[in-house]
Amino acid sequence: MLDRLSLSMRASHILVALLVVIALVFALVAWSTGDRFYLRLATEALIFAGLALSVDTLLGYTGLLPLGQALFFGFGAYVSALVLREAPSFWTAIGVVFLSTLVVGLTGGVIASRARGVYFALISFGLAQVVSKVVFNIRELGASDGLRGIPVLDIEFGLFSISTNAPLAFFLFTLAFILLLYALAAYLLDTPFGRVLIALKANEKRVPFLGYSVFGARLAAYILAAEIAALSGALYPMLRGFVSPELMFFAVSGNAIIGVILGGVGTLAGALYGSILLTLMRSIVGTWTEHHLIVIGLVFIIVVIFLPRGLLGFVRPRLEAVLSRRQKP
Amino acid sequence: MKPMLEARNLAVSFGGIHAVDGVTFAAAPNQITTVIGPNGAGKSTLFNLISGAVRPHRGHIVLDGKRHEHMRPDRLRELGIGRSFQITNLFFELTVAENLRLAAQLLEPRKHWLVPVRRSTLAGQRVGELLEEFHLAGKADERAGDLSHGEQRRLEIAVALAARPKVLMLDEPTQGMSHSDTAETARLIRALTDSVTVLLIEHDIGLVMDISDRIVVMHQGRKLADGPPAEVRADPAVQAAYFGHARS
Repeated sequence: MLDRLSLSMRASHILVALLVVIALVFALVAWSTGDRFYLRLATEALIFAGLALSVDTLLGYTGLLPLGQALFFGFGAYVSALVLREAPSFWTAIGVVFLSTLVVGLTGGVIASRARGVYFALISFGLAQVVSKVVFNIRELGASDGLRGIPVLDIEFGLFSISTNAPLAFFLFTLAFILLLYALAAYLLDTPFGRVLIALKANEKRVPFLGYSVFGARLAAYILAAEIAALSGALYPMLRGFVSPELMFFAVSGNAIIGVILGGVGTLAGALYGSILLTLMRSIVGTWTEHHLIVIGLVFIIVVIFLPRGLLGFVRPRLEAVLSRRQKP
Repeated sequence: MKPMLEARNLAVSFGGIHAVDGVTFAAAPNQITTVIGPNGAGKSTLFNLISGAVRPHRGHIVLDGKRHEHMRPDRLRELGIGRSFQITNLFFELTVAENLRLAAQLLEPRKHWLVPVRRSTLAGQRVGELLEEFHLAGKADERAGDLSHGEQRRLEIAVALAARPKVLMLDEPTQGMSHSDTAETARLIRALTDSVTVLLIEHDIGLVMDISDRIVVMHQGRKLADGPPAEVRADPAVQAAYFGHARS
């Protein structure tokens, strides 16, 4: 007897391993050519891939469309920036972001998890709009300018440290950090808890009659996704040295959703691929033409028409078939 | 014998219509108690009240000697009430084994909820047992949506039974089945009483008379009669209200 869901997760792991290989080859080339720009760009792409990962946890596995997930990404970025300005320690910033997101995620989750379908999407959108406008108007948070002057950090590991100002080292660190978030999501989704989330997407009305609280499961998924988004966002001020209210705007949430759809909804690995491709496309096409959104829009339409399950939604089933044949006696 | 499940004075109205109006009955342990009645008699609403899908305006249930009021379906399932649905209600995109595993993982201790499913040994064993018992072993890796109607109905019962409920409520489990599938399912249900109390809604009167230990007859939201099959069949009020219109 095969466990198809576990098999799908193994296929995702292989595709993520391939992404790591691509990232390491890129890092090697960038190091040998002394590049800084593309390393910084790739680091930013990885950070936004963390946001896409959180969107896929909700959209792809729990069946909830979060139109305002940038709320938590921006929240993590702001909390990280505020902590780093007072106490420039990576571990302190990450610890504070984690704990404060638990509280904020729980609060937002209690509100949003009561709804489903389009109502959940609208509540998620509304929460992000409210918070981003509040931040936009608070002078102590830099208002529309955001917070600037985040110091360069040395991330301490006891025996060695990594400077956020060293493009290659910080790129590799960010890669490892986002991989850890992927591993956390992938692990949890392959547990009995994760199966309840998958059941919510498959047939929510049946779930209570199996003994599982729909509200409780939705809330847990919401907090998990909030943590993934906020922890990813916490790296943003370390890379760019500033944060701004735009990080919470709908454009950021929308880009994360587009990234997930490009990569393949419900594949986790697809969220990483799709988001990285989107960030790179936006930047690289943007250097050729200011109308880059037209190009991205066309690519999105082509993918949705010809690969409706996304890039990895096309590749992964084939990989699963290979794994399945190997597993069968 | 102490009943496993009692409904006491359960009632609910929808828009002024008394869908269930003060129904009281008891289901003895390891027996089959069948609720019958014409269409619109309130049978499925009674099931919804007992399983927590609908909140009663009045009344309560007693499960294994303990009184419960206004409980949510997930809590009632944890306490031991499992149910199937009149219209097949499965996870159609998931495989047969995944449907069963999802239901059976309730057996796992809470501390196992955050360990990988491959280590959910209790659930894994239970899935194996159910696949054999319900003759679905050859279909374990097929999507539930790809099964035949009869297989889906069997899977529906297996899912409801997976986490070893005290009371198994089956809402028209043989609906739409062929004669051979119906006979096989009746045999399966009868065999289940070794381990569970069965509460059944069924329209096939031949099957009802054959496998039930007790019959509750409903008519226009009220209980009309309640007793062993022969006694209920002989009741003139029941004959007038129900048997006169039903298949026999």
